[in-house]
Amino acid sequence: MKTFYKKFSEKFIEGLLLLSSTITTLTVLLIVVFLFKEGLGVFNQKPVEEGFVIALNKQNPVNKLSSAQLKNIFDQNITNWIEVGGKKDSIILFRMEDITNYYSEEQIGEQYENLPQCISKVVDSLPNIIAFFSTKYLDKNFQGKQLDIDKISFKEFFSGKEWFPTAQPSAQLGVLPLILGTLWVSLGAILLALPLGLAAAIYMSEIANENVRKIMKPLIELLAGIPSVVYGFFGLVIIVPLIQKTFDLPVGETGLAGSIVLGIMALPTIITISEDAMRNTPRAMKEASLALGASKWQTIYKVVVPYSISGITAGAILGIGRAIGETMAVLMVTGNAAVIPHTILEPVRTIPATIAAELGEASNGGLHYKALFALGCILFIITLIINLTVEYISNRKKYNNR
Amino acid sequence: MKMPDENKLAKRKKWNQSIAFWIFRLLSYFIVAILFSILSFIIYKGVGVINWNFITQMPEEGMTKGGIFPAIIGTLCLVAGSMIFAFPIGVLAAIYMNEYVKDGIIKKSIKQMTNNLAGIPSIVFGLFGMSLFVNKLGFGDSILAGSLTLGLLALPVVIRTTEEALKAVDDTFRHASLGLGASKWQTTRNVVLPIAFPNIITGLILSIGRVSGETAPILFTVAAYFLPKLPTSIFDQAMALPYHLYVLSTSGTNIEASRPVAYGTALVLIIIVLIANLLANGLRKYFGKKVKMN
Amino acid sequence: MKSKVLIIALSLYTGVSIAQKLKGSDTVLPLAQKEAESYLKVNKANKVTVTGGGSGVGLAALVDGTTDIAMSSRKIKMSEKIKLQDAGKASKEIIVAYDALAVIVNPSNKVAQLTREQLEGIFTGKIKNWKEVGGDDLQIVVYSRESSSGTYEFFKEHVLKNKNYASSVLSMPATGAIVQSISQTKGAIGYVGLAYVEKEIKTVKVSYDKGKTYVAPSMASAKDKSYPVVRPLYYYYLTTMEKSVKPFVDFCLSPEGQKIVEQVGYVPLTK
Repeated sequence: MKTFYKKFSEKFIEGLLLLSSTITTLTVLLIVVFLFKEGLGVFNQKPVEEGFVIALNKQNPVNKLSSAQLKNIFDQNITNWIEVGGKKDSIILFRMEDITNYYSEEQIGEQYENLPQCISKVVDSLPNIIAFFSTKYLDKNFQGKQLDIDKISFKEFFSGKEWFPTAQPSAQLGVLPLILGTLWVSLGAILLALPLGLAAAIYMSEIANENVRKIMKPLIELLAGIPSVVYGFFGLVIIVPLIQKTFDLPVGETGLAGSIVLGIMALPTIITISEDAMRNTPRAMKEASLALGASKWQTIYKVVVPYSISGITAGAILGIGRAIGETMAVLMVTGNAAVIPHTILEPVRTIPATIAAELGEASNGGLHYKALFALGCILFIITLIINLTVEYISNRKKYNNR
Repeated sequence: MKMPDENKLAKRKKWNQSIAFWIFRLLSYFIVAILFSILSFIIYKGVGVINWNFITQMPEEGMTKGGIFPAIIGTLCLVAGSMIFAFPIGVLAAIYMNEYVKDGIIKKSIKQMTNNLAGIPSIVFGLFGMSLFVNKLGFGDSILAGSLTLGLLALPVVIRTTEEALKAVDDTFRHASLGLGASKWQTTRNVVLPIAFPNIITGLILSIGRVSGETAPILFTVAAYFLPKLPTSIFDQAMALPYHLYVLSTSGTNIEASRPVAYGTALVLIIIVLIANLLANGLRKYFGKKVKMN
Repeated sequence: MKSKVLIIALSLYTGVSIAQKLKGSDTVLPLAQKEAESYLKVNKANKVTVTGGGSGVGLAALVDGTTDIAMSSRKIKMSEKIKLQDAGKASKEIIVAYDALAVIVNPSNKVAQLTREQLEGIFTGKIKNWKEVGGDDLQIVVYSRESSSGTYEFFKEHVLKNKNYASSVLSMPATGAIVQSISQTKGAIGYVGLAYVEKEIKTVKVSYDKGKTYVAPSMASAKDKSYPVVRPLYYYYLTTMEKSVKPFVDFCLSPEGQKIVEQVGYVPLTK
């Protein structure tokens, strides 16, 4: 009996342990499910907010307008129908509140009870009109032509160059500037951090004596422990004004400011991982090199670095990963302008910063909300690729060792 | 004729080496200098602000005066909440991976997933926490939702450090215990865990340091801009130090007036991280010797 | 099912101690926070939480039921109203104060006045250099709020006449950051509420009649309505919650509460 209980409790505990260790897997799967369920919802929606119609006069030959065309029309960048395939005639814009230009308040009615008929009549009487109003005020006998808007396409989403998620009447969801902004800043960060980090790793693993190393190691760990808001704060009050002065720029909030802050934040990752890799270089190899008359320096760059190159690569890639996902520090220093950057000295907007700044405002389940989740999906996929690459590289190294 | 040439070569070799070494040394010192410039900047600006009242009082006058007490308490709540969730699960998971499964597909896939989880950016955790805990499960913006989100983020850290700690335990202990007829769980509980304990605690402290500084995951799950009273249940919102610093440095009607409070908040945050790191290192050193002596 | 139970448990819990959550516009935030501070000094048993995030955030939270009062610097949108209706809820609108939006530039900028048309050109990216509006030969750097903010919407509606901002506009997560950046950046221009105006930046006189009269933003010009860019600040709450939020809302509308409005730098309601 006693052995039975013992066996049972052993099994029970093992089950519990197994359950705990599946939590991480479960979490990753849950994240995937939640992220992608919301994120992919973007492609099921029209850029025009639900509950609104865009209507033309029925004589207008135009049947279809893209989201970008709509934006340009309502921004009055396109002012003639001929530019979007219609007749040569100037475009008349009509928003709901413009109705007072056509009808008096008495005619519309106190409770807006006549508003639908009024809108209908306005659209009917003006052949050049494009009207944007709530479906609530769509007259039963509406004579105009309701415009058919395409759902947001994959291509539009990824190659669109404009990010105006709350634009009326048609949201512009082009994530290209955001993706490029994220990559630019991270690339800049790694270019700054890699040489520095490598130098420190080599110094700590091969050159410095044990005492120096014992002091430096915890300091590097501390660098990793400083919260990202503190980095952001530091960047905002020190680095941003400094960049503005040094390069004599109109603005200090630039990609470079982000890169510097992210570079500092990526340093510990790079240093720790590459140092580990270098210290794992078999002593026999180093000694063989030294015995053959190579100097210590020659041994480092001909033996140690090539031997640990996969570890160094892994460190660099993980450093990029850290930089790509970093949110708060970037949000505070890069200026967040959603334009495709041409140099690193321009303001940029990254994916994480966009999510952090905009998610609060977006109403649950709306188009904007879903678009931000789609951004989250992109971020997730990028970091997953990074992780798998690192895994692949470090596995290959083990294989080579044998 | 050969001799001077070789000499020259050797000299150049040595010369090259010392230049290279000096460059590396200088770059390394440069990194340390960066660290110290950040730290000393914040200490210099913040130390004048910090006093007993700053730590124990409520914010006043639109955050330009008074203290940051609720933010400190909020952060403590979040740290405690996330650790209550992440620490046991993380330790159990690590035990399973290190003591129970043999190398193979299961271990590999669990490990891979843990690594993947560790690589996910914190803002994605925020998105996830918002959609699952806040909206789907209906917790609302609350300490519970924030703690769970932060807990998930800390989980890989706990698992990794615990695994390292378990790995460091010499196999002879396990063999001896098993040889004496103890079961696997008995061995783990009575032999392996006590030896690994200090290192596991080190991991716990490090993850506390990490959790207390995170902003992005709590942005949409718990953080409040102003809360004059302390939270009384896990369904309450809370203020938190990192979010408070973010708010102080970007909003408020009078940025200049709230700057000192911002420096003070940054310093408190840094001090927490500093203490966590020092504690972890001290423990590691102290017990590291003890384990070896055994 | 589970979530409903939790929500009920939650609301039961919050029902016991009168707790109020305010969420939304960062413009209303400093006001609400100060009102909350004073209110709590008198009503010690109550609890008021104030969170920012933007007007959109607050109104979305009102629809979701995660806040009691939504602070907004713009009128509730049609789409938000429809969402409330769909959820079977109705909201009540209260104007708590007025805010004058000031256009601000770096103090070193010699441009002192701009017409609405010029502002539209600058913010939509058609005017790119200060010399086009009578200033030095200097690139214009435009700062704006994130698209969530009511300030962003109001400025777009009333100054840009519904046109979109240029995409090169730098968007800042909070108004304080705009002030900070403009004080550091020579060619900068931005817009902030009157409460945020301080000595590190310079306000610009604005003309809404094509340059005939220019008016500087100030408490006085906002009060007598001669300054054109003035907007109301709102609280929205659900009609079903009226009983629990009323004491706090009444406090904000009381003479004492309106005194705080002026202290914070907004324009009190005139009766």
